[in-house]
Amino acid sequence: MKEAFLFVTLLTSLGLGLPIAMALGLSSILTILLFEHDSLASLALAFFQTMDQFTLLAIPFFILAANFLTTGGVAKRMINFAIAAVGHLQGGLAIASVLACMLFAAVSGSSPATVVAIGSIVIAGMVRAGYSQSFATGVIVNAGTLGILIPPSIVMVVYAAATETSVGRLFMAGVIPGLMLGTLLMVAIYVAARIKKLPRQPKVAWPERLRLFREAMWGLLLIVIVMGGIYGGVFTPTEAAAVAAVYAFFAAVVIYRDLHISDVPRVLLDSGRVSVMLMFIIGNAFLFGHVLTTSQIPQSIAEMVTSANMAPWHFLLIVNVILLVAGNFMDPSAIVLITAPILFPTAVKLGIDPIHLGIIYVVNMEIGLVTPPVGLNLFVASGITKMPLIDVVKAAMPWLMLLLGFLMVVTYIPEVSLWLPNMLFGPALK
Amino acid sequence: MSLREAGHRVEEGLMALILGVMTLLSFVQVVLRYVFNSGFIWQLEANSYLFSWLVMIGISYCVRVRAHIGVDAAVRLLPTKARRAVGIFVLFLALAYTLLMIYGSFDYLHKMYIINVEAEDIPVPTWILSLCLPLGFVLLLIRLLEMGWRIWTGQSEGYELADEAEEATRDVTHDHHPDATTVQR
Repeated sequence: MKEAFLFVTLLTSLGLGLPIAMALGLSSILTILLFEHDSLASLALAFFQTMDQFTLLAIPFFILAANFLTTGGVAKRMINFAIAAVGHLQGGLAIASVLACMLFAAVSGSSPATVVAIGSIVIAGMVRAGYSQSFATGVIVNAGTLGILIPPSIVMVVYAAATETSVGRLFMAGVIPGLMLGTLLMVAIYVAARIKKLPRQPKVAWPERLRLFREAMWGLLLIVIVMGGIYGGVFTPTEAAAVAAVYAFFAAVVIYRDLHISDVPRVLLDSGRVSVMLMFIIGNAFLFGHVLTTSQIPQSIAEMVTSANMAPWHFLLIVNVILLVAGNFMDPSAIVLITAPILFPTAVKLGIDPIHLGIIYVVNMEIGLVTPPVGLNLFVASGITKMPLIDVVKAAMPWLMLLLGFLMVVTYIPEVSLWLPNMLFGPALK
Repeated sequence: MSLREAGHRVEEGLMALILGVMTLLSFVQVVLRYVFNSGFIWQLEANSYLFSWLVMIGISYCVRVRAHIGVDAAVRLLPTKARRAVGIFVLFLALAYTLLMIYGSFDYLHKMYIINVEAEDIPVPTWILSLCLPLGFVLLLIRLLEMGWRIWTGQSEGYELADEAEEATRDVTHDHHPDATTVQR
């Protein structure tokens, strides 16, 4: 009864258009008032304590770091370098765009931001070079999803906070799948380019390549700081994020001079806005999680699954379906916050590694970003190309199949995600 | 500048300032620890309270600039009249949430005030540091009432959710800083 009330109020208020944060909060508060004896003060405290979580502090810092580099010309330098590196291949401009998305994903934790930063420059460039607009857009919409798979990743930080797993491990676990998916896209483009006879760019001499690499290097150094720092044990992911933010400020204002010091308050405010919006959802989602744990839902699902003798792969298939459907309607972070407390206990019981589950989550969320009706990457691409949404959906479709295939690989070969973190940090404690 | 605008500037300035201070504080802490092998004990606690203030001040700011996200796929399918009715209902839900949280946070603050303990590393009573909690929800109430007024006077259809795609592409489509995106040389 209590559970039914919780979910009916949540889904109704969400469907009517109440902001996700308030829908989570309101349904939890009403459930507690009606069925439990907790005071409202204890709820206010539970909400307030979310901000105490050291892990979550990484969110504003990573957003800030990415914003310093996005507003600057870092994306453009990465694109120039990528074109110099692989542009001479058949279909080279499209392959270089994927490479640029991978590089940019390594400084940004958001997919739509990657689509905007890279897509707004390369789509027009590809069309000028003789590619069809739908080919160019389709490539970028999908390659842009790498933003949340290649670390740093906001979705991973949120997952880590919701399930109490290690952010450092998750980041490392995203590296190989991210490189794999990027390579997969590039190979697929190359094959399509041979068939469609897509153009090549002139070959760039090595000294010029080196010069362009050095120019892009200051942006790329950010990933070295973040990953090297976390791996080397120099700092925690949250500290790495703060160092990355200060470094990004330094790179954008002092080294590249893309950003004037007077622009800094605006960048701070923009980053603050996005962080607050996320934190408001997270705080309320923790209230929701609190109600869920006092209910029996996660346990009864876990019991049902184990008593039905469900194999882990079977369960993961169901998880994929749930996440893919949810991904069509909601923001990745919100989906993680709502579903992780429900699905996580069962997964653990079935012996699925929490880090592996995290990567499965992220890849599902990537697919959600490129499927209608609420695939944010589609809207963003439609916004920057002025293409009708339905055409963007069609353009993205062939590459989406590739993503779905990749999801199967990530789901059923845990080593793809787990090999690197286990090698670097030692096997996880069970 | 009207009083209203001045309030907006203060709101925005505070948010930018707090985030900037948080970042620098964490950065300095890392530097102190690894380079000078020292640091402030109070840094961690200060940062988590700063973060709370940022979030609590920011919630109502996000209502003003339409940054809160939600699911509007279903509501968009409704005819205008029904959409308006739903919009008003949703605003009432938002008000209900806010009032409950205001009650809860004042209750919490009152308890903290009675206990009157200082924070662990900062020599200030916790109830003062936690003032942002009720403050944030009261500010949220004000913004929601403002939105209600706009609905009442016909300037708005209901709760105004963020248009995420528009927001993400805003920097590109109407860029206020043209030189920021062009690469020198």
